[in-house]
Amino acid sequence: MKKAILYLNQFFGQIGGEDVADYAPEIREGLVGPAMALDKALGDDVKVTHTIICGDNFMGSRKDEAVETILGFLNDLEFDIFFAGPAFRAGRYGAACGHICKAVKEKFGVPVITSMNDENPGVEMFSKEMYIFKGGKSAAAMRKDTKAMADFAKKLLNGEELLSAAEEGYYGRGIRHQKWLNPPVPATDRVIDMLLKKINGEEFVSELPIPELDLVPIASAIKDLSKAKIALATTGGIVPVDNPDRIQSASATRWGKYNISNLDHLPGGVYKTIHAGFDPAAADANPDVIVPLDALRTYEKEGRIGSVHDYFYTTVGTGTTQGEAARMGREMVEDMKSAGVDAVILTST
Amino acid sequence: MKLEIGNFYVKDIVFGDKTAYENGVLTINKEEALAVVKEDEHIIEADLVIVKPGDKVRLVPVKEAIEPRHRVGGGPVFPGVTGELMQSGNGRTLALKDCSVLVVGKHWGGFQDGLIDMSGEGAKYTYFSQLKNIVLVGDTDEEFEKHEQQKKNHALRWAGMRLAEYIGSCVAELEPEEIETYELEPITKRSKEINDLPSTVLVLQPQSQMEEMGYNDLVYGWDCNHMVPTFMHPNEVLDGAMISGSFMPCSSKWSTYDFQNYPMIKRLYKEHGKTINFLGVIMSNLNVALEQKERAAQFVAQIAKSLGADSAIVAEEGYGNPDADFIACIVALEDAGIKTVGLTNECTGRDGASQPLVTLDPKANAIVSCGNVSELIKLPPMETVIGELQALARDGLSGGWADDEILGPSVKEDGSIIMENNAMFCGDQVAGWSTKTMVEY
Repeated sequence: MKKAILYLNQFFGQIGGEDVADYAPEIREGLVGPAMALDKALGDDVKVTHTIICGDNFMGSRKDEAVETILGFLNDLEFDIFFAGPAFRAGRYGAACGHICKAVKEKFGVPVITSMNDENPGVEMFSKEMYIFKGGKSAAAMRKDTKAMADFAKKLLNGEELLSAAEEGYYGRGIRHQKWLNPPVPATDRVIDMLLKKINGEEFVSELPIPELDLVPIASAIKDLSKAKIALATTGGIVPVDNPDRIQSASATRWGKYNISNLDHLPGGVYKTIHAGFDPAAADANPDVIVPLDALRTYEKEGRIGSVHDYFYTTVGTGTTQGEAARMGREMVEDMKSAGVDAVILTST
Repeated sequence: MKLEIGNFYVKDIVFGDKTAYENGVLTINKEEALAVVKEDEHIIEADLVIVKPGDKVRLVPVKEAIEPRHRVGGGPVFPGVTGELMQSGNGRTLALKDCSVLVVGKHWGGFQDGLIDMSGEGAKYTYFSQLKNIVLVGDTDEEFEKHEQQKKNHALRWAGMRLAEYIGSCVAELEPEEIETYELEPITKRSKEINDLPSTVLVLQPQSQMEEMGYNDLVYGWDCNHMVPTFMHPNEVLDGAMISGSFMPCSSKWSTYDFQNYPMIKRLYKEHGKTINFLGVIMSNLNVALEQKERAAQFVAQIAKSLGADSAIVAEEGYGNPDADFIACIVALEDAGIKTVGLTNECTGRDGASQPLVTLDPKANAIVSCGNVSELIKLPPMETVIGELQALARDGLSGGWADDEILGPSVKEDGSIIMENNAMFCGDQVAGWSTKTMVEY
């Protein structure tokens, strides 16, 4: 008998609606709400032993605490697989499912499975890191979505051959492996088939889909640099040593801005990097190597630039999804524009 | 140009008094055959072994595969390589089918060499496990490269070609069991019906990245590094104008056998006059410097455009750096308004998570993919090893390693192995045989 545990939010955990979205994590022995359908779909060989319930806002605003509490619940339990959701189109719930699945997978090394609608932002945030099944828009799809998760879980636990993401029904994780075609179709036939379709303007499917490139045109040049207000921004993770905004060391979703109007440079010991993707020694000793405030102040004194913006902007680039990076970038730009910034120097590592 | 390939289907291979072919049985006089091998004094040790599908045999380090053939009316099977330069692709050439000459190092391997299992789980990774093979296993006095990771393997590769010619000559006086005819009218002399079909060129990018001579594929004996893309008749490729090199990680390599039987060319012939008008082959190459890559792509697109090609197929012999040539060529063709399909393999890493090609472009929107060079493969011990199993671990084969802190060495004490697909002999079969593809998980 294999054992499974399911994570639900306050609504599907039958605690209540938006008014109790602050509900603290709780674990219950046995089946609550959708756990019953999941348990049934898993059949006789897999049993859902516990249900975990946590309010969406609690997970959203106190994530570290929520995750730590839930991992604590799980510490003494035996389980072979972990489920969360389905989260349908509920954004906060989707993100919560992703966060807890990721933490459980990392700590316990068990397979984790969740389900979301393609418009749920949790898909973009977590689809590279776990099995997220393509789910319906609303709870009307509960039975179908739960069954999809359960069917795949059974294959995983039984060590059966797993098909491609598209065939199984989860969002591709960007993991590509070779596979023998059954029936065997030689490459020559596949080439001719694709060529004729392409010639005839018919639809065809490339065996190597090229990811969409999101190219941003280069901005026009600044006419008079000596009057321009220049801001500094970085994905190198330079923060005040206490990291007041708790920016993550990898896969960041948060950014911060810090006042540097009274500083000629960023002193070590006052600023440091929290970036987990490189050796921090040089950056910690001299944060200016990543955020070159010292050089910019010199330019300011020499009159080569108008002024340095009062704040620098920072986040961590390593493991951060393109979607999150684009959102943070847009938010930073709005803030800079409202402060009359003319140009930004963005440093990476 | 009209080429007839006269086929003799080899059902069994045995050693005997006289090298001869009769009723599907190929008999080889071993002594005489070895004398041909040893015509080159650099061959200091040589033996012949016959291996067949299902034999419990592992071959490593495999350096080359060649189909035994004979050119009717005289002349070398490989013009400019095993004899005088002459036009290939016209007239009649005899071929011993379902068999190949495999060239295996008795001790020493290198980056470019591969592995073949004739049975068991490993057999599916190479085409040559399906063939009856005459294995030349030998050693040479090429001391300068004995401990080099990159080997030219000159003496052994040329010995393999001589051997293939010697064996092929035994059918010189016989009537073939079957004749395949390959004929294309000159491009401007084709019928209206054919001219009205969408026209297609096949662009081949054989391996030519080594600046030093002796490692690259040869066209009529000429190093492909020293050429700009040129137009060729497909028959030339099928009839010995191209020979394999000794450079690329093995699963990406096209052996000489692959060139002699190039499946994509044969498939295009089958479509010619029905769905497409097959114009011919643009023989390009693979280069290391960006300007060379761009120059080659520019030549290819210009030739295709000048020929009036509506569509193109581009196949690359390699991965990594050559992906830049592959994508540049596809982009240049698409930019010239030529609808293009790519044929390649990928390098997505052992975990499958890496970018599949070094460069990508949205214009390369139609690609057939034949495998992941870095897929990890574990295989049990094999009863007999021909060559030297340690070569996989010791000699820097592209898919082997001497030690790894997690996986240990490629070759275990019990004779079992762990390796990357990279070292499977011509494993990804990008010439067209591959029934492998890549899927996302």
